[in-house]
Amino acid sequence: MVSVAFINPFSEEGRQIVRELGDLNSVYEENGDLIDLVIHSRSQDISDDESIPHNLIDLAIKRLEWYIKKKNNPDFDYKKYSYLYNPKITRFDVIAFYLLSQAISVKFGPNSRESRAMAESQGKLMESRLGELSLRDRKHLLSTILGSLLIGDVKWTTLGDLLSSRKIRLPDLVMSHGNLILDEEEFAESFQDKLENRDSHKMYELLIGDHIKELILNKMIMQKTENYITDVYKKSQRKVEPNPILLDLADRISEVLNEPIISYGYRGTEKKMEASPFDTEAFPPCVKMVLDGIKSGGRNDAIILFLTPFLSYARLYPDVFRRNITLKVSDVDPQLEAVEKEILPLIYEAAERCTPPLFEDQPQEKVNINAKMGFGMHSEIELKHEGETTWYTPMGCEKVKLHLPSLCKPDEICKKIGNPLSYYIRRLNDIKYSKNSKTD
Amino acid sequence: MEEKERFLQPASPEERRRYYREEWNVKDIPDFISNSIIQREFGFDHMGRGPNDRYRVFRSMDLLRKFLRYRAPFAAYSSVAFYKKPRRRDGWIKSELVFDVDAKDIPIRECGCAGVCEICLNQAREIVCSLMDTLKGDMGLKDMHVIYSGRGYHLRVFDEEVMELDSDVRGQIVQYIIGAEVPKNEYAQDGMTYKLEHFTIPFGYPKVFTQRTKYAILHLKDHIQIDDINKKLLKDAIKNQDILREDKWGIFKGKIGPQRYQRLIKSIASLNMGLVDAKVSIDLKRILRLPSSLHSMVSMKCMEVKDIGKFDPFQDAVPKFVFERKSK
Repeated sequence: MVSVAFINPFSEEGRQIVRELGDLNSVYEENGDLIDLVIHSRSQDISDDESIPHNLIDLAIKRLEWYIKKKNNPDFDYKKYSYLYNPKITRFDVIAFYLLSQAISVKFGPNSRESRAMAESQGKLMESRLGELSLRDRKHLLSTILGSLLIGDVKWTTLGDLLSSRKIRLPDLVMSHGNLILDEEEFAESFQDKLENRDSHKMYELLIGDHIKELILNKMIMQKTENYITDVYKKSQRKVEPNPILLDLADRISEVLNEPIISYGYRGTEKKMEASPFDTEAFPPCVKMVLDGIKSGGRNDAIILFLTPFLSYARLYPDVFRRNITLKVSDVDPQLEAVEKEILPLIYEAAERCTPPLFEDQPQEKVNINAKMGFGMHSEIELKHEGETTWYTPMGCEKVKLHLPSLCKPDEICKKIGNPLSYYIRRLNDIKYSKNSKTD
Repeated sequence: MEEKERFLQPASPEERRRYYREEWNVKDIPDFISNSIIQREFGFDHMGRGPNDRYRVFRSMDLLRKFLRYRAPFAAYSSVAFYKKPRRRDGWIKSELVFDVDAKDIPIRECGCAGVCEICLNQAREIVCSLMDTLKGDMGLKDMHVIYSGRGYHLRVFDEEVMELDSDVRGQIVQYIIGAEVPKNEYAQDGMTYKLEHFTIPFGYPKVFTQRTKYAILHLKDHIQIDDINKKLLKDAIKNQDILREDKWGIFKGKIGPQRYQRLIKSIASLNMGLVDAKVSIDLKRILRLPSSLHSMVSMKCMEVKDIGKFDPFQDAVPKFVFERKSK
């Protein structure tokens, strides 16, 4: 029987494996058992020694590399990583998982690009592993792990973390009187009398079935991974010096994550996006609408909370979400020339086009614009005040829908993005690409 | 004075003073406020220019009573949040989950009036009832209080399991209960794809969406303008309203045509975002009109509604001074 730790490293079995590790320095030692297991895994390509992890640190790196290459490399070779789908690897894999998570915690912390990549890679690996298992093993693992994570009547609020991080959406869940309906018996008991002329079993399979259970399981483990990184990070803040093995691994993790930027690229989207003058043609529909002026309620939110962060980031730091490094406006625009000559004029013009013009009845809102760019609550933008407030990042589409529902008139591109800034970058790249194609 | 001129007119400072001295009683403030008074922030609008007197705290109901009696504010508010240090809005403990249904902002209003009237206030009441059904039936929430706000309703939820939820989850709850997105209509199993329209699924989110869509379609009128719905589509939807009254969705869709039907429900989903003011629901530190206080802009009492089925704001929420205006 496949170990639950193969899917859930947080299980008791998983923790036991970690307890049995002993000396941390052994992770660098050549591991004959691991090599043997790898080269005897079904379909494993053994022609290139580079593909074979020789120790636990190698395995940890390969584990993350699998995710990055699978995601970015069109020529991804599944056979180089077949051992990752071999359940026998569990006792090594769990150690590799914890090594990666701890290295990321101590060097990069939670909410980092590395932390996100770790959680996502865990989710993808679980998904692929479940897909490779026999139906019997798959169902067994699913019910065992979910049974240990969700005990008794499960309230939908139990998934608060997953809903908060939007790993799961409420419309995907079936609820009755506060309970999450996951089992077929519960489903039949709750809804059978409403299902006239419909096959209850079929409806259950279509709307819930194993796919919703797998989704919940997958997202729960991802969330647990993020929470674990946060916990270790907090503990590491109290310690003086992190273990050099973890710091060394962290550097190698960075190299793996930077590889797609160097190697693949996608019409520039993986390349660093430099600050550049506005291309208003690339603005999303919601931004264009605000630039035309807001005719009714919501002027303040539209100009201050929505437009100001969007324009300042679009002009100065468009790939803020991808790079995930906090900058100040002056890091990109040291003389504040772009702010004063390009960004503020656009914001003020949009404010002027509102009905009534925003600053006519609320001149104090100019201060709020400065504050949202990080220059404190002052009537003039001055470098000496920078940092008194936070440079607000642009609202995501979900927030726009809640705060300013009248602005959201999605077009085809909107369906593919989650933030108006991503729309802008995508369109900029498209425009650049089509110009280049014409030139070619 | 004419009947309609008496109602919904702003209250004068003298009328406000009379209300707080002669009619208002501190006992009219619901227990859910009085039991947590020391943990809440209070805010006041003295001049009718917005609640700029904020960060107020009261150590007892008697101090609040004296304040309201003496100051007779234009409007009074209390926080939905419970704080350890309410004077500084610091040490957030939890917040009520709140839904604000304002009659004047209902996206499809039968009346088409400029402000609020009996018709749209009744629509607001119906919407609150349907939201409560979903919160109870799907989400299992039980501790709900309905407040007539003066121009609509506040639905305030006190179930402990939702009071600590963050803004993001609250945002998702709003979108779920108002039917803000069209449910998917393709479901996969064993490599096969099955088409199931929302109206064929009598549970979960598709059911909620079906209910909200039905409500919207049944309230469509010729004069209403909706983005992406042209006059012909609006006319056809109105013409076939009776079919929906009997829940014959398949026939309704057939009459409208499959592509136009998708356009119709997509537009309605987007309109549904206006059923409640989502900003209120996701704001953990919001202040809300204090139940029992006077909504001076329309001379109506903001009050807790014990039986929403029987509540009539024009009977139950009109202060005495409004009726006495007649004799002036």
